[in-house]
Amino acid sequence: MKGEPIESVKVGIEAMFSALRTNPYALDTVSMSIITYDREVKQILPLTPIDQIQMPEITVPESGPTLTGAALEMLCKKVDSEVQKGTPGQKGDWMPILFVMTDGKPSDIKVYKEALSKIKQRQFTNIVALAAGPKAETEELRLLTDKVFQIDTMDSTAFMKFFKWVSGIIQEGGKSMGAAEDIALPPPPDEVNVVI
Amino acid sequence: MLSDGWERYQQHLMNQRKSTEEDINARPWKLPNATKGKEYRSEDIPIPSGMKIVGIKGLDEVGLKWEQPGDSISISGKPTRAGDFTITIQFQYTKYEGKELEGRPRPLFERKIPFCVNPNSRDLWKNVPTSRDVPYYKEDHVCEYVKVEAGADGTPRKNIVAASKRGRSHAQDAEQPRDDHFQLFHSNDNEWYIIAVADGAGSAEFSHKGSEIACRTVVDYCRGKLMNASDLEAKIRDYHSAENEESARKIVGDVLYDILCRAARSAYNAIAEEAKRADAELKAEPKDSDATRLHTFCKKKAIRDIAIRDFATTLLLAICKKFDFGWFVASFWVGDGAMCIYNKEAQTFKLLGTPDEGEFSGQTRFLTMPEIFDDKRENKAGRKSPPLLYERLRFEIVEDFTALMMMTDGVSDPHFGTDANLNNINKWNEFWNALQEGCPDDETPDDEKPKVELTDGSEASKDQLLHWLDFWQTGEHDDRTIAILY
Repeated sequence: MKGEPIESVKVGIEAMFSALRTNPYALDTVSMSIITYDREVKQILPLTPIDQIQMPEITVPESGPTLTGAALEMLCKKVDSEVQKGTPGQKGDWMPILFVMTDGKPSDIKVYKEALSKIKQRQFTNIVALAAGPKAETEELRLLTDKVFQIDTMDSTAFMKFFKWVSGIIQEGGKSMGAAEDIALPPPPDEVNVVI
Repeated sequence: MLSDGWERYQQHLMNQRKSTEEDINARPWKLPNATKGKEYRSEDIPIPSGMKIVGIKGLDEVGLKWEQPGDSISISGKPTRAGDFTITIQFQYTKYEGKELEGRPRPLFERKIPFCVNPNSRDLWKNVPTSRDVPYYKEDHVCEYVKVEAGADGTPRKNIVAASKRGRSHAQDAEQPRDDHFQLFHSNDNEWYIIAVADGAGSAEFSHKGSEIACRTVVDYCRGKLMNASDLEAKIRDYHSAENEESARKIVGDVLYDILCRAARSAYNAIAEEAKRADAELKAEPKDSDATRLHTFCKKKAIRDIAIRDFATTLLLAICKKFDFGWFVASFWVGDGAMCIYNKEAQTFKLLGTPDEGEFSGQTRFLTMPEIFDDKRENKAGRKSPPLLYERLRFEIVEDFTALMMMTDGVSDPHFGTDANLNNINKWNEFWNALQEGCPDDETPDDEKPKVELTDGSEASKDQLLHWLDFWQTGEHDDRTIAILY
């Protein structure tokens, strides 16, 4: 992703930060981490409480492979090291929610498939995948989660709506739940299609 | 010749300016985010050598000031406004050779740094009352005092005070009612106390009804069973004086299983029945206003089926009675929260069970899970299996106590947080103090902190307790319910 689409994503993410900061419960409880992946995988934002987050730089290469598998590998490591689990002496964090966005498909398909089982060993309240634009493929994403969505146009309106919806999902995350249950997603906006 | 030299000199000055500008803009200066109304101090920003600060723009409007200790500057104060701002630091050369020649002011350099001031979450909370259109509407807060008159010989008897309040996180949305519930009972005939406290799951749409049914059903069931408690009481007396404690304990345990575990089972059945009824109502043409309300609500939320899990709730249940040899207390507990017999004088406490907690915040078990009642299951490999039903049952004989306290996680999490703290007498002392002296809070003056007078027969304590439930703690805004027998 580059050019206008990535700029729209940045604007969307910033709008999401603002939205979460004006919700008192989110402001008190939400932390976020961002991993970018193209031919390189970078955690550009370590898990940080929303009130301390500053918008990180997002740089994109002109071309190259999409290392989705390597990104999920890194994600698992970061979940293990950065998400606090409850112990007798330490209160646990809320269970994480994973959002995966792509405008293409995994180039490292073998690594990707291996990473899927690692993801499944870890608990997420929800895994939401978004295929953005005409070149994005949903087939591989469906191996990751049954909650796959798709947007046709990668313009600022579509991303704004998407990230607004995402902030809603995040706000739903702070609720008591039974072990091994997931929480229903709010209905997506019109611009975001459910992939069946 | 002269003009040539002059131009070269001008060029030199311009290059110097340009490289200074680039240098200043390339420095990795950042201002950490601030929060409105909270003391802020930035990290020190070193001043580039050969430069001095002439001013910083944008600080006044957020109510901050800057100072220069030595070779660096820092920004501090209590921000008065929230939002995204830009702070502009203005520099000049300390020595500027061009000044004399030109008689013009020294060049001014500016570095802009984005600066975010978060709102103070306390300013953002709304209090939107629960809409009457939500199915199974209930009050956003309730409190109750059960005053028990002194005995014939004038000795005071313990009273019960309880309060329940919808959490701030729910009060942002008219469609999120109070999920917690409690029910109290004291029999004037045979002196048994029955207390139930429950917390509906935030993720379950009708859990506010689930917790209500749970409390009501278990208290009614126990009332019925304890109406004639002479058999149980005789066994408790036997147990107290028994030489073979183990076998006598088992006898009492069996009777209690029959009361408490069956009470829980009957609550499960009552909830299952309501879920079934509601599901049928949703699938039929609405026949009255309640049904219409349910239809409208479910349509809006895209709910097509209603099942027992939509009524998920925890349950803490205790029955107790004073005997001539002391207090008998029995309990049943599914889910999180806390339940404890606290004795301030003796500096002892007894937890009446173990909270069901997962690895992550907010994860627990509910009364509405069939596995709670499955007493014959086998352990699944690699999974921590839940306790068996009878393991949720506890009973104790204690000489006396200061308070029997039962609370949902909206109260226990902010005050205890961890299992280790629940097992720490100092934390219970702190909690007991916080009730009477007010909770620690750096933004409320001591004399304004809500306090509860827990003296005999003080009925006002129910309103005080309700007010006390407003205590502040970052990130802790769940429904809060507490019942105290004291």
